[in-house]
Amino acid sequence: MKKRLIGALGAAAISMTALMAPAMADGNLRVAIPSNLNTLDAAKTKLGEEYIMNFLIFSGLTEVDGKGSVKPDLAESWTKSDDQKTWTFKLRPGVKFHDGSPLEAEDVKATIERIKDKATGSTARVNFDLVESIETPDKETIVFKLKIPYSGFAELFGDRQVRIMKRDEFDTVATHPIGTGPFMFKSFTPGDRVELVKNPDYYIKGEPKLDAVTFRIMPESAAQIAALETGDIDLVWSLPLESIDQMKKNPDVTVDATPTSTWDGLIMNAAKKPFDDARVRKAVLMALDKPALVEVALYGQGTPTHTMIPPSHPYYNKDIPISPPDVEGAKKLLAEAGFPDGFETTLYVPVGRPTRERLGIAAKEFLAPVGIKVDIQRVPWDKFVKEIEGKAAFYTDGFFSRPTIDTSIYPFFHSTGSWNTQLWNYNNPAIDKVLDDARAAKTEEERAALYKQFQALAEETPAGAIPYVLNHVNAYRKNVKGFASSPMMWLDLRETTVQ
Amino acid sequence: MVRYVIMRLFGIAAILVVMSVLVFAITQVMPGNVAHILAGQFADDATILAIEHKLGLDAPAYVQYWRWAGGVLSGDLGNSLIMERPVGPLIWEAFKSSALLASIAFVMVAFFGIVLGVLAAIRQNRFTDHAVSVFSYVGVSVPEFFWAIVAIIVFARYLEWLPSGGAGNISQGFWPWASHLVLPSLTLTFTLIAHVSRLTRSSMIETLRSNYVRNARAKGLPEGVIIRRHALRNALLPTITVLAIDVGWLLGNIVVVEAVFSYPGIGRLLLFAIERHDLPLIQAGILLIAGVYCFANLIADLLYAYFNPKIRYGHVES
Repeated sequence: MKKRLIGALGAAAISMTALMAPAMADGNLRVAIPSNLNTLDAAKTKLGEEYIMNFLIFSGLTEVDGKGSVKPDLAESWTKSDDQKTWTFKLRPGVKFHDGSPLEAEDVKATIERIKDKATGSTARVNFDLVESIETPDKETIVFKLKIPYSGFAELFGDRQVRIMKRDEFDTVATHPIGTGPFMFKSFTPGDRVELVKNPDYYIKGEPKLDAVTFRIMPESAAQIAALETGDIDLVWSLPLESIDQMKKNPDVTVDATPTSTWDGLIMNAAKKPFDDARVRKAVLMALDKPALVEVALYGQGTPTHTMIPPSHPYYNKDIPISPPDVEGAKKLLAEAGFPDGFETTLYVPVGRPTRERLGIAAKEFLAPVGIKVDIQRVPWDKFVKEIEGKAAFYTDGFFSRPTIDTSIYPFFHSTGSWNTQLWNYNNPAIDKVLDDARAAKTEEERAALYKQFQALAEETPAGAIPYVLNHVNAYRKNVKGFASSPMMWLDLRETTVQ
Repeated sequence: MVRYVIMRLFGIAAILVVMSVLVFAITQVMPGNVAHILAGQFADDATILAIEHKLGLDAPAYVQYWRWAGGVLSGDLGNSLIMERPVGPLIWEAFKSSALLASIAFVMVAFFGIVLGVLAAIRQNRFTDHAVSVFSYVGVSVPEFFWAIVAIIVFARYLEWLPSGGAGNISQGFWPWASHLVLPSLTLTFTLIAHVSRLTRSSMIETLRSNYVRNARAKGLPEGVIIRRHALRNALLPTITVLAIDVGWLLGNIVVVEAVFSYPGIGRLLLFAIERHDLPLIQAGILLIAGVYCFANLIADLLYAYFNPKIRYGHVES
């Protein structure tokens, strides 16, 4: 009986292996993602898993590459007026949607107007508030008139939600997206998988190289890792940080990490006491050991920084050191602010965001020596979004990297910024001026200098504490070639093959 | 009997109506709303209001409920607010997957639970009885997500015999399809088998001590015949009730098992819907589960009557 059982299990194992073999050879990449998708409508997407689909199914007018530089995508070229208020984009000729219809300027206009419509609920809307009007003089030309001079306008079209859609397909895009991207939508079984197939008419000849991509939705990290190790899947997107060491020991698996400008932070609300005093905020910042926070919160998968500008970015200000904790300096500042014995406060952390939970717990330990006694409250995400974010005095939060430095910073640090007014209510006229000047800067050098100045000002008078930027980590089997993790955390599979 | 069944069906309909009102009320008081989720963390009030208006969420609660109920009565379960696709096919696809998994687990629970329970009873206080007891206690006291993770680590990762999760496609062949069902159904079985085996054991022991069994033994009937024909039929009566209750347990446990094994069933769909306040999806999912539970109880009651001719619904023979 025992022999028969073992025999049966062995036969089952062999047949499984035999059945899996052709799947690996036919160019179908199998990717594990941790969460179900809410929507396939790129304009409405808010999850990292959804952003992957945006990039594969759709294209933008422009593309932000791995180094943060803007390059052409559907727009072959663009020009701007001297005052940086009129931008003219020329579409690449001959680009077709997946249903064979041609891409036209009207599609671009309709896509952006839809994003600007509040009822659409696109988080990219705030970026296009500066658009006064859109004109389409011919089928291949789009002219944007802006309310203000804006040097980074072309980069906005590389953002996750700003994918160009077919103008008469908006009603069905959530369930059956038609784009111009390298892969075509085949099917979505909610909770189970998304299947994409190669777009044979993709405008870059010879790409994509894969025939198909299958995304398996696997919330449990143990299941993801087992599937990767057994070859049931080829790639785990956004590998859980705690699994990295274990995965690195597996000779069949490559762990690929890339720095991003995605950040976690200790949010201090300047509209609430005692964080309305900049000296208190500065004291909190001085008490933190940033490299230690990277180790504790991220298992080492991140980089200490001053603001959300990552050390890998050319605008990063290398002249400002990452200082070790200064307990005496922090105490002195607290005393000046009227808290010679420190104070007690509650730090709210969102449940289910493990890096932010660990950040909060570690921060509590660093704040104790300067006299700040922290009570940590874990709050479910729903409640966190409704009752804590933008309302509480002190909490941990975090944000995805954005395509441009301006869209990463301006909304958070400018006194009129959309996120600032709902997050930490920071008001620093010097920073307002630097950020406005950077938007209108005419040269790259001028812009870089202004952002370095911004970092110095933000370090001197902090809005909150942004201790680090996170790495984005993927793990894939050795048979996957031509893949590199993206700082934007999406998957560029155009050059990827499975052998 | 027919009258009894009709009355019960009316009862089930009433329960489902009450459930739908309750679920609707709960979703109204849950923090956050779907418009907030659709608009994103930092949307301004105008954006949220625009989305609420578009989805009809700015209408009074009773109007929203009536709109939904009216749709259901005319056969339209509405659209998922988050996924913007019809709820009916979404629920049906997920339900089919869960029903398959739950059915396999239920059959295994019933079969092994009864077999182990009977074995333990007829070998009372001997090794078999003790072994079944230990097995049952371990099964019932350790949560199913633990077994699920253990199963993944042992059978998927180290032995590489079975897939770690997901659902197979029958078009790829029988085994690739069936192999995806083995670990989740075994996990469900393991946690539920204890209830059935413990109850069958005690019921069987009680029956074996009864006068009519003693009488049968005195008549010199073989032990196997006594157990099969005389004892088991009566001993199974309480087991049937427990099996019906286990259908409810199964539906509860399947949520966890589906999450761990990435199995695309009704449990995962419901979790997804609850996290996102997707009311039409929540309503349809919960009502479906409640309906299955009610019908399982009805079937258990009818089977109870079938197995015990002394019980006739509407009156009990004295």
